[in-house]
Amino acid sequence: MSIGESQLGGVGVRMAQQRYSWIFGLAALALVLGIAAPHLIASLLWMSLLTQAVVDMMLATSVGILVRQNGRISFGQAAFFGLGAYTFGVIAAREIASPELALLAGLVLPTVVAFLLGLVIARIPGVAHAMLTLAVGQALYEVAFKWRALANGDDGMSVRMPDTIFGIDSDVFQSPATMLVICWSLLVLMLLALSLMARSPFGQLTEVIRENDERARFIGYGTTLPRAIIYGVSAFIAATAGILQTLYDGYISPQMLHWSASGMAMIMAIVGGPRILWGPALGAFVLFFFKDIAGDATEYWPALVGGTLIAVTLFLPEGFAGLIIRLTSRAVRRIKGERP
Amino acid sequence: MLIQVLNGIAYGGLLYLLAVGLVLIFGLREIVNFAHGALFMLGSYIGFSIAAVFNFWLGLAGSLVAMTVIGIFLDAAVLRPLRKHDHMVTVLVTFGILLVLEAFATAVWGKSFRSMSAPDLLSGTVQIAGEPFPVYRLFVIGVSLCVAAGLTAWLRFSRVGLYVRASSVDPTTTAILGVDTDRLSLIVVGLGTGLAGLSGVVAAPLMALSPTMGNYILIESFIVVVVGGLGSFSGALAAALLIGQIHNFGAIYLPWASTMLPFLLMVGVLIWRPTGFAGKRT
Repeated sequence: MSIGESQLGGVGVRMAQQRYSWIFGLAALALVLGIAAPHLIASLLWMSLLTQAVVDMMLATSVGILVRQNGRISFGQAAFFGLGAYTFGVIAAREIASPELALLAGLVLPTVVAFLLGLVIARIPGVAHAMLTLAVGQALYEVAFKWRALANGDDGMSVRMPDTIFGIDSDVFQSPATMLVICWSLLVLMLLALSLMARSPFGQLTEVIRENDERARFIGYGTTLPRAIIYGVSAFIAATAGILQTLYDGYISPQMLHWSASGMAMIMAIVGGPRILWGPALGAFVLFFFKDIAGDATEYWPALVGGTLIAVTLFLPEGFAGLIIRLTSRAVRRIKGERP
Repeated sequence: MLIQVLNGIAYGGLLYLLAVGLVLIFGLREIVNFAHGALFMLGSYIGFSIAAVFNFWLGLAGSLVAMTVIGIFLDAAVLRPLRKHDHMVTVLVTFGILLVLEAFATAVWGKSFRSMSAPDLLSGTVQIAGEPFPVYRLFVIGVSLCVAAGLTAWLRFSRVGLYVRASSVDPTTTAILGVDTDRLSLIVVGLGTGLAGLSGVVAAPLMALSPTMGNYILIESFIVVVVGGLGSFSGALAAALLIGQIHNFGAIYLPWASTMLPFLLMVGVLIWRPTGFAGKRT
């Protein structure tokens, strides 16, 4: 590697630039599409649905990044989603601090909690890890559920928005046309940042640790800290999604933290294909509208979601994203005239 | 005081009936069955429906038999074909089964709460240490103790039990040594699911029946399994009795924190010993 770098440094840098410009181009295109969306979509209902779908996509991405960079399955991701929402909602509603500080606290607290938790639980693999995250998530749910003085327990609490946040009129956050653009832009920027991180030496290191923790230690890397950082990153994304949902709905409830929400986020990530960066977001998008359509047709939609999960895990182990990549690469090869 | 201890044992006994099923399935298939709570719920409803037509005892027996059959089907149709996949994939599939079963129960029995009464023979109370205690809870304790004793004897003294114990230490080596683990798994998953059905009916007079009734107790029995050590039968019994007491005394002395105590215990145990009290595997 070092020889290659010294001899072919120029070529390598140019190739890297080309690769990165491809990513930046795609992100810019996605941003433009998002800004144009409110002008293209006439129906307010559709814009509102899309906004909620984008929040789900963010939560699913946070689950996916844990699978992708850490190889860990979390059944408690809604805890960080809800912790962000509750921290922001409670501080803002009770006017303990300015809404800007509340927002920052809502981002920082879940990230720090997840990082510290990551230091401890990173070494626990597999099924025990899944159950431990489930327990942590349910413990937080019980707090929100039981502690009525905090935010009305089971009833949830409506959060009256301050007039402005960071100088932005809070109506902006409550109207689907503007909120859709904000949520979508944040999601695109996050995916961009994550894809750059995955290509960085740090991202490569986390993948090495995911593949073989023991060998990574043999060649001299500490494995706990990188894992814990990924937990923090993942919780940061989930908390952002939770705060966006609170800004949009003006309402927090313990259901945000419940393990069925974590399970649903997990399903979205798996169905989409967590090995590919944008897979979980795609899975969330598909399942959100699947749920919406199925929910109109039948009250038994969880069975359909469960059935989809079973079918996808059995027949599409790489998820929807894997299927799309396979189909496009086959199409590209055919266009180039190669044998498939 | 004694009454409270007995209440804790009754709840711990129910947890044991569920947790031991999870341990049995984990031992052979190395997966944690997220659908176990839904199977508990299904067993409860089956017992409820049979009891509504005939009586409680037929409901109990009918649910045990029906759920055993469902368990055998579950192993043959789902777990066996998936045995070559990553175990986490199978866990996710059982999560899908959970959603399907809940929707199924909603379709058949509706969303509203149902209640099932204890049989006449077991209604009423007895005096224990000068205080009244429901006979039915004694029955719950009796059933779980009988299952624990029977299961321990079976595991300890029968040839199949020896195979099951060997598999729960290392299924691959056991299969290499000539044990037909697929056939063994049919028995074990059937038995585990049957026990979920049995505990569903036994628990029914103590709680309201609803499609989501299995969720909370499932998570508590997960905690039992993890605290006891994945794959350990004696660990599960000890942990179930411990959590039963914590559940009960927590509700009396620390009501605001009672539902959190088991979670805290689990987090503490896993940090201290990632494999649980008696476990060797993760």
